[in-house]
Amino acid sequence: MTEPTRKLHPAAPMLAAEVRAGKLSRREFLTRATALGVTTPLAYGLLGLEAPVQAQAAATGGILRVGMEVKAQKDPRTADWPHISNVYRGWLEYLVQYNADGSFEGRLLESWEANADATQYTLKVRPGVTWNNGDAFTADDVVRMFTRWTDASVEGNAMASRFLGLVDETTKALRDGAVVKVDDMTVQLNMSMSDVAVVANLADYPAAVVHSSYVDGSDPSANPIGTGPYLPREVSVGQRAILVRNADHAWWGGTVPLDEIHYIDFGTDPAAMVALAGSDEIDCNYESTGEFIDVLDGLGWNKLEAVTASTIVMRMNSANSDLYKDKAVRQAIQRAVDPAVVLELGYNNLGTTAENHHACPVHPEYAEIPKQTVDVAGLKPALEAAGLAETEFELISLDDGWEAASTDAVAAQLRDAGMNVKRTVMPGSTFWNDWQKYPFSSTTWNHRPLAVQNMSLAYTSTGSWNETGMANADFDAAMGRALALADADARRAEMVTLQTILQDEGYIIQPFWRSLYRHARAGVNIDMHPSFEHHHYKWSLSA
Amino acid sequence: MLAFLLRRVGVMLLTALALSFIVFCLTNLAPNLEKLARTEGSVRMSDEAVASWIENNGHGGSMVMRYGQWLGVVPGWVRTDDKGVTRGRCLAEGADPASAPRFCGILQGDWGTSTVFREPVIDTISDKLASTGWLMLWVMLVMVPVSLIIGVLSGMREGSRTDRVLSTFSIATTATPEYVSGVILVVLFASATTGISPILAEWGWIEGRTLFLGTATSAMDQITFWNFALPVMTIALYGIGYIARMTRASMTEVMTQQYIRTARLKGVSFSQVILKHALRNALIAPFTVIMLQFPWLLNGVVIVETLFNYKGFGWTLVQAAGNNDIQLLLACSVVAVFVVLVTQLISDIGYVFLNPRIRLS
Repeated sequence: MTEPTRKLHPAAPMLAAEVRAGKLSRREFLTRATALGVTTPLAYGLLGLEAPVQAQAAATGGILRVGMEVKAQKDPRTADWPHISNVYRGWLEYLVQYNADGSFEGRLLESWEANADATQYTLKVRPGVTWNNGDAFTADDVVRMFTRWTDASVEGNAMASRFLGLVDETTKALRDGAVVKVDDMTVQLNMSMSDVAVVANLADYPAAVVHSSYVDGSDPSANPIGTGPYLPREVSVGQRAILVRNADHAWWGGTVPLDEIHYIDFGTDPAAMVALAGSDEIDCNYESTGEFIDVLDGLGWNKLEAVTASTIVMRMNSANSDLYKDKAVRQAIQRAVDPAVVLELGYNNLGTTAENHHACPVHPEYAEIPKQTVDVAGLKPALEAAGLAETEFELISLDDGWEAASTDAVAAQLRDAGMNVKRTVMPGSTFWNDWQKYPFSSTTWNHRPLAVQNMSLAYTSTGSWNETGMANADFDAAMGRALALADADARRAEMVTLQTILQDEGYIIQPFWRSLYRHARAGVNIDMHPSFEHHHYKWSLSA
Repeated sequence: MLAFLLRRVGVMLLTALALSFIVFCLTNLAPNLEKLARTEGSVRMSDEAVASWIENNGHGGSMVMRYGQWLGVVPGWVRTDDKGVTRGRCLAEGADPASAPRFCGILQGDWGTSTVFREPVIDTISDKLASTGWLMLWVMLVMVPVSLIIGVLSGMREGSRTDRVLSTFSIATTATPEYVSGVILVVLFASATTGISPILAEWGWIEGRTLFLGTATSAMDQITFWNFALPVMTIALYGIGYIARMTRASMTEVMTQQYIRTARLKGVSFSQVILKHALRNALIAPFTVIMLQFPWLLNGVVIVETLFNYKGFGWTLVQAAGNNDIQLLLACSVVAVFVVLVTQLISDIGYVFLNPRIRLS
């Protein structure tokens, strides 16, 4: 935004025209335009609107108590829960931030640009950012981060599979010349393949930027050098984490309103959260689910909602079970379930029904394909044809509230349709050990900004989180093409293929999209984020 | 006396050894190691990554040798991974492998590091035992006097109305498990929507929305009547009924003895008979029962600490077991053996003083 010579991405005005023509929603426009490197104010400008400014009536100061599980800190790139990142977000920041309205905002990056086929990205470092030990934040730090992220030899490196276009196939590490420091403030990414999700991946919670003195694999709170405005005073696993405003650090964003943020661990029981809200031991919670949303409303707390593509998928696995090798059987099972019923019984209607293809209307590239019809009567004949009429099918889920309830609703409908279903519930400590291997089980999926992100992870034959055993060459090929199209409209043509194949393969019953909620007492100014991100600097208490 | 003590200590060590080996075997079963790898590495690690994690973190090789490492009679493992980084049981982060000790087990005073809490096990255990110590202290302070009074009152006149009322109360409380009484207490006293709290709040008798706090988490920092009453009562109620029943049985038996009748016939007042003649003899049985409460309390706190989110020994045990934290579970079992056997030792010795007819050897 400070560079007058910077060119607007050619697709951006086109997108703006589509919004005016009513072909594109404003939310989708923001997601896509900002992903192409258009700044948020500029994106709003293209629509002839003013960028909304967060209400700043709030007072500075105060302590906010958040009820959230405090998990052990991990090397950020191996973080596997948003809870972990919400603590280190106090002192570690991100290159890019995904906002609750669907837009991408540069944080440690001031701006970025993509070329037309999304093979080359130019990243501009935000000037004036310093680490809290006094070092300046420069392009070297950005290059170093890409080296960290692309190192696949680190066990559990969640970032390793995100930048395949930057990775050398043989060494499984950063390819020479893939990330180039142009000058102190500019970094260029030269991808070996098109990748539309680079910016979205930079904003994901394991992508926190750590200092060069950080020891790989160590606890980031032990030596909390970062660029962020807070410092950890205490991180006690299972008990609490306390973030305190860093008085000795001139944060580039100015002064953050809250003095301290206390994360207090009260376990996972949602009923406990209600009790805590009632006895005024917390100011806000992490998430409100199921019937507890009404209960917390009843206590007079404010309900905060985030519209998301978070979902639950009951998926069959043909790689581990012969029962699901027959496509006709899978399709019959899929069609015997009415998504509306699952949404009502499993999630209190707190969301919208989905179409068994894991692409959500809030995704920019979502394509409308013909609606499926529920076919309860078709299941029994299909099972008989496959010789499975008497076979017992086991449906596994976590024993957590809505996940178990939704899976129960699916099981009940399958039983009504004549299938012999056995339900098994497991505690989280054992469920996740084999989550990819169960023959038929439910998995929750978090929101991701682009539909191709989840789909490429979960349903391509090489996807690292493939839990269905699905290996469809046409799907893989279409995904390869889709991931080369920076323009979401062009990608939509491929999405038709992807969504149709995924739905037709019948591996997944994906009944609904969840809206996410949390609650806060009156006077607490916070928001709910679709990926549970806590943007501390936006939070405040009313005077 | 000395021989007796030595024998008891020997038994204690043997028991600790046997129990810790059993716990070690259970926590080192293949699926448990896999679970540990996934919580430590990443929930969504591939199977190959899990296998290499297990190998690289010293969980490979024979189980007996690894148990030996924990004891400190076998040299600790050292491994250099593909990138040339050397890690080992006895190596601190970034320490020089050459200068590190070869042995580091409990014999060397090294209890290992907790994988859940990321700190030395010894710190975790001592921290959490202190918290549980406070809980137990308050439970004992409430439970012992109340139960003895109830037991003595109902036992001194068997079959009276007092006896019937108090016995009914004792049986009711001791028949209610903690996970039931805890929930009932929370619903009655610590909920903003049910029980008596909304009524009291409406009348303006209480300032907040609830009479008591439904969690004891704040008691970690400061114990107050409001945050500690419910967990203490939950544990105490169960014990009160039990000890009171024991005391009552013992008391009624004593009250039928000839010497009590003699004392009464001599004209000694009833209260003097109870205090001077009956109590000492009647308290022998309850004393053993009370000492037995210590190990039982250590188990009882598992439920109550989890229910009330009080981070003590019981809660730690749940966390350690839930995450297969090997070192922490082993330390917990050693502590449990220690507590059980030491309290039993005290009870045996105390018995001698209460009942001169018993000899230790």
